[in-house]
Amino acid sequence: MMASKQKNMTPEQQKYQQLQQKHEKKRPVLKNCIRAFFVGGLICAIGQAISYFYIYFFNFTEQSVGNPTVATMVFFSMLLTGFGVYDRLGQFGGAGSAVPVTGFGNAVISAAIEHRTEGFVLGVGGNMFKLAGSVLLFGVFAAFVVALIRTVLSIWGVL
Amino acid sequence: MHNTYRFIILMSVILLVSCNQDQKAKDSQLALVKTTNPPPVVTDGHKGNDQVEKIKQDVSSFPELYDVAVVKGKKAILVAYKVKHLHRFKMKKIEKNVTKMLEKKYPKEKFTVSSDYKIFLEVVRLDEKMRSSSKFNHRDAEKRFNEIVKMTEDIK
Repeated sequence: MMASKQKNMTPEQQKYQQLQQKHEKKRPVLKNCIRAFFVGGLICAIGQAISYFYIYFFNFTEQSVGNPTVATMVFFSMLLTGFGVYDRLGQFGGAGSAVPVTGFGNAVISAAIEHRTEGFVLGVGGNMFKLAGSVLLFGVFAAFVVALIRTVLSIWGVL
Repeated sequence: MHNTYRFIILMSVILLVSCNQDQKAKDSQLALVKTTNPPPVVTDGHKGNDQVEKIKQDVSSFPELYDVAVVKGKKAILVAYKVKHLHRFKMKKIEKNVTKMLEKKYPKEKFTVSSDYKIFLEVVRLDEKMRSSSKFNHRDAEKRFNEIVKMTEDIK
């Protein structure tokens, strides 16, 4: 695709692109990866602490503790997004803050904040799931496919 | 902005210091994060204590496990254990092997096996309660034991 794009360019455009590439700031991939690793790890460590909290003080087992933990993490990330703290964390940690489930809360609330000037129904209500909607759609679809495979396998007696 | 950071750091330090008071922590307080190795528990007095000790040794001999708790009730025996971190991918297989070994070695007993942290924690709590509280009699212990067994059945 890149090669075909270059073919369609005029010589001036190619020259300009070379010039631009020469002056382009190199993306610090390794630094970004390390930051994402630590920020993502920190978020997961907090999640682990919350799940231990629920196991210790409430009647949740290791298998059922996932639900309240996820709900708590999403709730906190929504609050932090509202206060403007999560955006800073996102700028620093990149994928490390977007990939864990807290990124979902951030996606919902940031879209809601962005569109609040358009009104509550068509603005906030209509656009709240603009980003997170695809997560929900593909999450539900993937869960459906996995459940289907599992059902078929258990009918066949493999599982 | 600096004041906010200072406040957060100060609060964290206070929190950490307050957590580090020089008092002996109960086993159950740390049961989720460190090896507690609780003694085997028999809910109805001391009958069959040797057997429970033997079961604990047998289960502990599995190299994948690092902390084993055993409780003997009137009708069943509950075995709770923690699996070493890198072996947690094979939890189901380990559970199957442990159950198979126990059923083969002690065919007369009914076993409930669980690797859940919550079950382990509750067993440690039960043991502590039985040792520390004189009001907690064998009937209470049996009742609590049955509740824990029911909890393991709910997981499956």
